[in-house]
Amino acid sequence: MSETTQAAKPAPVLGRLAENSQIVLLGLLVLLCIGISLGSPQFYSVENIIAILRQCSLVLIVAAGMTMLLIAAEVDLSVGASLAFSGVVAMDVTNKTGSVALGVLAGILFGGAVGLFNGLVVTRLRVNSLIATIATMMILQGSVFLYSREAVQNKHQQVAFTEISTGYVGPVPIPVIIAAVVFVAAFIVLRYTTIGRYIYAVGANQKAARLSGIRPERLKLLVFVVTGLLTGLAGLILTSLMNAGQPTAGRGFELTVIAAVILGGTSLLGGRGTLIGTLLGVLVLKVIDNGIIILRWDQNLQMVVPGVVIIVATYLDLIRSRANAR
Amino acid sequence: MPADAATAAVVRPAGPALEMAGIGKRFPGVLALENVDLTLEPGKVHALMGENGAGKSTLIKILAGVYQRDAGTVRIGGAEADLRSPRDALRAGIKVVFQEIALISEFTVAENIFLEEYPVNGLGSIRWSTIRKEAAALFARLGFDVDPAAKVGQLPVSQQQMVEIARALAHEARIVVMDEPTSSLTPNEVALLFTVIRRLTGLGIAVLYVTHKLDEVFEIADTVTVLRDGRHISTRPIGAHTHESLIQDMIGRKIDNLFPRERGAARGDVVVKVEGLSTDKLKDVSFEAKAGEVLGFFGLMGAGRTELAKAIVGFDPIRTGRISIGGTPLVPHNTRTGVALGIGLLTEDRKSEGLMLELPVLQNTSLAALEDFARAGFVDEGRERSAVQQFVDRFRVKTPSLNQQIKNLSGGNQQKVLLARWLMRGLKVIVVDEPTRGIDVGAKSEIFALIDRLAGEGLAVIMMTSEMPELLGLSDRIAVMAEGRITAVMDREGATQEAILNAAIA
Repeated sequence: MSETTQAAKPAPVLGRLAENSQIVLLGLLVLLCIGISLGSPQFYSVENIIAILRQCSLVLIVAAGMTMLLIAAEVDLSVGASLAFSGVVAMDVTNKTGSVALGVLAGILFGGAVGLFNGLVVTRLRVNSLIATIATMMILQGSVFLYSREAVQNKHQQVAFTEISTGYVGPVPIPVIIAAVVFVAAFIVLRYTTIGRYIYAVGANQKAARLSGIRPERLKLLVFVVTGLLTGLAGLILTSLMNAGQPTAGRGFELTVIAAVILGGTSLLGGRGTLIGTLLGVLVLKVIDNGIIILRWDQNLQMVVPGVVIIVATYLDLIRSRANAR
Repeated sequence: MPADAATAAVVRPAGPALEMAGIGKRFPGVLALENVDLTLEPGKVHALMGENGAGKSTLIKILAGVYQRDAGTVRIGGAEADLRSPRDALRAGIKVVFQEIALISEFTVAENIFLEEYPVNGLGSIRWSTIRKEAAALFARLGFDVDPAAKVGQLPVSQQQMVEIARALAHEARIVVMDEPTSSLTPNEVALLFTVIRRLTGLGIAVLYVTHKLDEVFEIADTVTVLRDGRHISTRPIGAHTHESLIQDMIGRKIDNLFPRERGAARGDVVVKVEGLSTDKLKDVSFEAKAGEVLGFFGLMGAGRTELAKAIVGFDPIRTGRISIGGTPLVPHNTRTGVALGIGLLTEDRKSEGLMLELPVLQNTSLAALEDFARAGFVDEGRERSAVQQFVDRFRVKTPSLNQQIKNLSGGNQQKVLLARWLMRGLKVIVVDEPTRGIDVGAKSEIFALIDRLAGEGLAVIMMTSEMPELLGLSDRIAVMAEGRITAVMDREGATQEAILNAAIA
């Protein structure tokens, strides 16, 4: 948040602090890039960079919503399951109607509906979001198989559907463009609008926000729905990429997203976090993924290394903020 | 009652059970206690009285080993004692039953009683059957009926208190301190508590009974010590006191002139009208407040001041009743309507209901007025910043910059920011709940001056307070609350401290 305040008038102390909060991560990213390219020069090829960005796009789209949720002091663990189910729905509706547009719409709206459900359970029934969304995850993981026993193939081989993930605008893949648009929009909302300010306020102190005339429940509901819609969008892209709606897709996806957001410095306690941090968090995780592949390391390290990185980065950030406090 | 092992262990020293002499305690910027003496006799109930802020809590926290004294001596049973931790105090035979009960709610009654030292067998395993039997024996001796196997969290507060008292016996305490023990008890429970206290004194235990309730003191105490502003005022046998003489001792005669009154006597139209308001805690509350006046609400702890404050701004739900602000009813009953109609609450609990601790002064100040700086949902940060800067200057908030995190400001400056938050919004009515809690004296007078100025500028100010000087110094009219009702309304000119306290105790 300190970042926001830096905008209008340069404020030396907090300006430095805001930069600092990302400096650990930026340093880490640079080190990773140098290290990997020393081991394998092809890291810096245009193809590889585009591949990394493409892999980032799915996570970033959902992480944009998740950042807002965590800032509002809520969380959504059902995004992985919702991702798979939305994709299945999108593919199925495309097959049944023959219309890619309707399929796209159905997939995104399905994700939005899941978000709405989560939001209502959390804000109306007042179930803790950690518990509520784990429950939603279980419900979705089971019911997707009630909906379809196996993967839904692109029966009519609709090219427009696969184009969503494989198409390019100039040299840039469409998913990367979608992710960039989502990122910029979320960035603007969080940093420049009253809604963004209220998201921080509600996360920092919900009672104070309510006393000031803000309705925390509505705001949280909105953020849940936005996260759901973005998850539907990401599910659509994933399905397009696989050219099939895969019920088992997206397992563990929620953890990757949350890891990226936390790595980016967003507080689990709410009230603190930035989208720039989230972007860096996503990049770090995906560069690690990519590095392990092009260095031909054991693929199982793709889980181990990020785990270690999260602990180290969070610890370093803690040291930094302690040093700042002095 | 048979004198079994635990009773026999309660030693009856010939001299005083406790002698505190010349006790002094200083906190940053505040002299909390100065040269205070207190002597407790075994088998007697000694009441410690005084207003909020008189130093009662500080004194008992020193006794409990929570605070360390800066000056003076403590003798227990004639021997000098150094109480460096709650454990030291317990070992020295002092058991303090605080208002906030310090039991582990997930444990059973018996487990809580022996929490510090579980009896173990040769293998180091806890002897649960012994614990349960001993707990039951303790309860039998004190003459009350609590199931030792019940979970503490499921007991009513009155029984939790009994468990605390039983712990005192389990630890063979010779001195039991009770801090406002009746603040959340029903009359029947109070009667039971008094029976238990008499049993304790029958065992030769010295009881220090901390309270500000006069009637209880006359019923249970043998001796009364009164503190005021951290100083020892008097120690007398209860027979030497009347209600009037005790009140006199508690509040003193003169109130310092912390209250520069600049505003005139002019009052405007009625802006707040509350009729027949009832909630879980409030019973049929009705009153009006006019533009330009400070309406002070006084009441002792639990009288319902904070509940009233939260109900009339729309924060807490109400059961029945009507609230209107500037002639418009507060419907639907929520803070959004309240803020739109122009009523806001300066909360007594800054940390949990007021401040966004991690966020800068800027965001904390502009929170309620943010829409005023927005066009089509986008915040014009330049305008916001200059408006906030104006308030920061006008209120003389000491902060290095608007980007400073609010948690780094002093209590007084935080309070000014929260006041500014409301004034930027442009209110008709501000409800201030304990506006100077946790604020040092210098900043206090600034807050008083601000409140005076607000009323002068035509706001209706509704002030909830438990501080008598604040009440008399700032209010135009005074409403007194007790047990969720308004028991008296008076003009300041006609109000005496005695009349106010009598109405508050009623």
